[in-house]
Amino acid sequence: MREERAQVVVVEGLEVEFRPGLGRRSKRILDGVSFSVREGEIFGFVGPNGAGKTTTLKVLMGLLRASAGAARILGHDVGETAFRRHVGFLPENPYFHDYLSARETLDFYARLSGVPVSERPERIERLLDWVGLRHAADARLRTFSKGMQQRVGIAQALVHEPKVIFLDEPMSGLDPLGRVEVRDLILRLRAEGRTVLMNTHILSDVETLCDRVAIIAEGRIRYQGSVEDFSAAGERASDILVAGLSVACGAELEEVCAAELRGLGERVELRVAEKHVGDALSRLLAAGAEVISVTPHRASLESIFLSAVEQEVQ
Amino acid sequence: MRTLDQIWAIAQNTLREAVRNKVLFGLLFFALLMIVSGVIVSSLSYVENARILQDVGLAAIRLFGVAMAIFLGIEVISREVERRTVFSVLAKPISRGAFLIGKFLGLTLTIWLQVALMGLAFAAVSLLAGAPLGAVHAAFLLMVAAELALVVAIATLFSSFTTPLLAAFFTTGLWLVGGLSRELRDIGAASDSAWVEGSTWWLHRLLPDLQSFDIAIEAAHGLPVEASQLLWALAYGTGYVALLLFIAVAVFQRRQFR
Repeated sequence: MREERAQVVVVEGLEVEFRPGLGRRSKRILDGVSFSVREGEIFGFVGPNGAGKTTTLKVLMGLLRASAGAARILGHDVGETAFRRHVGFLPENPYFHDYLSARETLDFYARLSGVPVSERPERIERLLDWVGLRHAADARLRTFSKGMQQRVGIAQALVHEPKVIFLDEPMSGLDPLGRVEVRDLILRLRAEGRTVLMNTHILSDVETLCDRVAIIAEGRIRYQGSVEDFSAAGERASDILVAGLSVACGAELEEVCAAELRGLGERVELRVAEKHVGDALSRLLAAGAEVISVTPHRASLESIFLSAVEQEVQ
Repeated sequence: MRTLDQIWAIAQNTLREAVRNKVLFGLLFFALLMIVSGVIVSSLSYVENARILQDVGLAAIRLFGVAMAIFLGIEVISREVERRTVFSVLAKPISRGAFLIGKFLGLTLTIWLQVALMGLAFAAVSLLAGAPLGAVHAAFLLMVAAELALVVAIATLFSSFTTPLLAAFFTTGLWLVGGLSRELRDIGAASDSAWVEGSTWWLHRLLPDLQSFDIAIEAAHGLPVEASQLLWALAYGTGYVALLLFIAVAVFQRRQFR
C-alpha cells in the first residue's frame, strides 16, 4: 500500500562541489546523491557528521545550488520560490531573531509564508499550545533554553501548515525529556498525514520514528529502503547465555556451529546463526551446561550504518 | 501584493531590531549631545552665534547620520547570514530580492527615524537660542535623508557579499570619494591630457555624486534653495539607490549559503 504513495521529494544525482580557496582543488561534498520520499512517511536521512546531510537539505531549501543533478519537491524544482508555502524547514541548531518573543516570531514567519491576517492569531495560539510554549509566548527568545528554541523552530516550520517538513537534527542538544517531546511531535505530524524528512545521526530515533531511511557517508548514499528491510538485510542470529560451559564444548560449538563466544565471568554468551541454534542448544544440554537465556538478535541499523561508514574508510 | 507584505514584514522586523538593540541609542545620544553642545560652542563667539550653533547642529546631523548608516548597514545582510537566521527566512516562500529590499527599507526607515529625532533636537535648540528656522532647514533634512538612503544602499550592496569589516571599508571609502567626485571631475577638466579628463569625467558619472545633496551652506545662512535642485537630487538619489539595489539583488541571488 505504502509503495503506491506519491513521491513528494525526488533527488536525482545531486552533486555539490566547493572550492576551499583560490588555486585549491575543489572538494566534492555530494557525489551523485539520489533518493525519494513518499507522501505521508517519515524518512530518515542518516549519516555521520560531515557526511553531506545538511548540504543536501540546503540544496532542497534553495540555500545552495547543486553543481549537477536535480531535486524536486511536490513536483517543483527547488530553485522556485512560490511552492515553499507547502514546505516547512527546521534548520540545524536553529537561530532566530532573539529580540522577538515566541509569538512575534511565529507572526513574522506566518506573514512571510502568506498566512492570511485573519487566520494568524488563532493558528499561532494553537501552535504555541501544540509545542508547549504558551506559558512563554511573550518572553524574548534570548531568554529561551535550547529545547525551547528548538520548539519555536518546529512551530515556525509548521506555521503555514506545510505538506512536507524538513527537520535538520531535530533532537540536537535536547535533554531526554525534550527528545521525547519532539519525537511525539514528529509522530503527530505523520498522524496528520504530513511528510517528514529528518536528518539525524541518532539511530535509535530512526528505528523508532522512521518508515524508510537512506544512509549517506562521504557524500554518497550507501543504503536506502524501509527500516524493516534494513533489519532483515542482516543475518539473523541468537545470543545464548550459558553457565558451566566446558572448554571442550565451547571449542566444539565454535567449530561445528560457528559460534562466537564472549566471556561474562562465569557465564558465556554465544552468538549463533539461526540455522545452528537448535544444534547448539542440544550440544549445550548434552554437555551439562546451564542455558540461562536465548535472545533473538537481528543486525541493527547501527551495524549496517557502521559497516557503511567503515566501507568508506577502507 | 504578497511580495509587498513580505518586504514590509522584513522591513518592520529590521526596524524593530534596531529599536530593541540599544546600541543605536548610544550613537543617537552623542548626536543629540553634539547638537546641544552647539549652544556652548556658539557662546564662545561674539558674532554669528546663531549661525555657529546651526553649523555645528547640521554637521552633527549629517555626520552621525552617516556613521549610523554605515554602522548598521555593513551588517544588515551579513548579520542574518552569520547568525543563520537567513536559513529559516529564505526557506519560506520569499524571494531573495524581496528579503534584501525589505532589509534595505527597514534600515533606511531606522536611519530616517534617527534623522527626524536629531532634526527635532536641532529645531528645539535653534528655537531656544533664537536662531532662525525655515523651509531651508527642512530641505536640509530631506537632503540628508536622501544621502543616507544612498549610503545604506551602498552598505547593503557590500554587506550582501562580504564581511562587515570590508563592507565598512568600502562603504566609507565610497562615501568619502562620493563627496569629492565633482572636484575630481574639475581637476580632470583642467588637465592637458584628454585621457585624464575623460577618465575623471567617467568616474564622476559612475561614483555617487553626494554633493548633489549638500545644501549645508544654504541651510546655515538661511539662503533659498531652488525646488528644481531638490527634485533633481531626489530623482538622482532614487535612481542611484535603485541601481545599487539591482546589483545587490543580483549578487545576493547568486550567493551560496554553505
